[in-house]
Amino acid sequence: MQDGVLTTAGVLAGLTGAVSNHSQVILAAIASTAAGALSMGVGAYLGTSAETEVVRSELERTRGEAAQRPYIMQEALLRQLEKEGLAREASYRVVELLSSSPELLLATTEEKVFGLGGAMLGNALLDGVVMGIAFIAGALVPLVPYILITTPRIALGAALCATALVLFGVGYFEGWLAQREQRWRSGARFLVIALGAAAVGYVIGLAISPLGGVAG
Amino acid sequence: MLNPGDTAPPFDLPCSVEDRIDRIALAKIRTEMVVLFFYPRDFSFICPTEVTGFNQERQQFADENATLIGASVDSAESHLRWARELGGIGYPLLADEGGAVARAYGVYEEKERVAMRATFILDGDRKIVYALASPINVGRSVSETLRVVRAIRTGQLCPAEWKPGTKFGPSDRHF
Repeated sequence: MQDGVLTTAGVLAGLTGAVSNHSQVILAAIASTAAGALSMGVGAYLGTSAETEVVRSELERTRGEAAQRPYIMQEALLRQLEKEGLAREASYRVVELLSSSPELLLATTEEKVFGLGGAMLGNALLDGVVMGIAFIAGALVPLVPYILITTPRIALGAALCATALVLFGVGYFEGWLAQREQRWRSGARFLVIALGAAAVGYVIGLAISPLGGVAG
Repeated sequence: MLNPGDTAPPFDLPCSVEDRIDRIALAKIRTEMVVLFFYPRDFSFICPTEVTGFNQERQQFADENATLIGASVDSAESHLRWARELGGIGYPLLADEGGAVARAYGVYEEKERVAMRATFILDGDRKIVYALASPINVGRSVSETLRVVRAIRTGQLCPAEWKPGTKFGPSDRHF
């Protein structure tokens, strides 16, 4: 979501510096939002698809191996437990207990040894749609006040305030989820990044405006 | 890895035998032959069939005047608990902690810090007369080791698949 917020805030700040026509800035920001949402959605879809294929293939391979040579699984898990600090004999007992349930042994070995698991088989389409919608939702945060207020610089101020507020809120929420004592720090971190991105975008817009022959 | 003809490096280390901890020195073994087999670790899902397999046939080796010794990098206490886990092991399990003996025989895997699956048969002069290394996932044949001990003790030329009671070469024209 913060990708959409930051990208759109950056576009609005940059274009407000470079383009004097308010409507053109809004259209450009909408186009940027559409392109960004598509790009993020497709990227998430492709990423999850590729990852799911790799995980599925690895799971099939390890399951095939487990069926043919279960002792390899047992030995691999034993070594992993030992590597993680359990005494050899205790590791042996744990693996021996798990071996009474081949499915449990396999699932534990997949997770502990290979870092794989059924939970990693994601839904590519869902990931893509959620990513796209989240980007659009984020983009609306600076875009809505910018559309509602017709004076460009006031509109930009409102957009940046909304952006800062939402990003601070996201950061604060993250701190709350992580059960941090100083949640405002997480919020402030997001806020600084947002304002930094917007400021850089605005400065770049101002710098390139003479090249396009448009007034700031 | 040492080869047939090489002198067997000596050792004098703690071991587990029967249900106690003892000490074993190559120099003090008086049998005609010694079968020294290395295995990677105690409490493993790969090795136990060899350790128990040799234990089941230990009387056969004794009948051939051969001392059977297993060795791994585990401690004697670990060997003792492992032997109990396996129902008791009647031959010594050498505690080669640190792998000095395995290194001397050239069968220590530095990366894994364990001994390879390797078997050495030593003669009365404690020269190596037979050396074998096996992949980590393939257990060795106890009966084959016993067959080789018996074949070596004959002092004769033994054809492939020779077993006690079958003919020696090369007087046999089919050899």
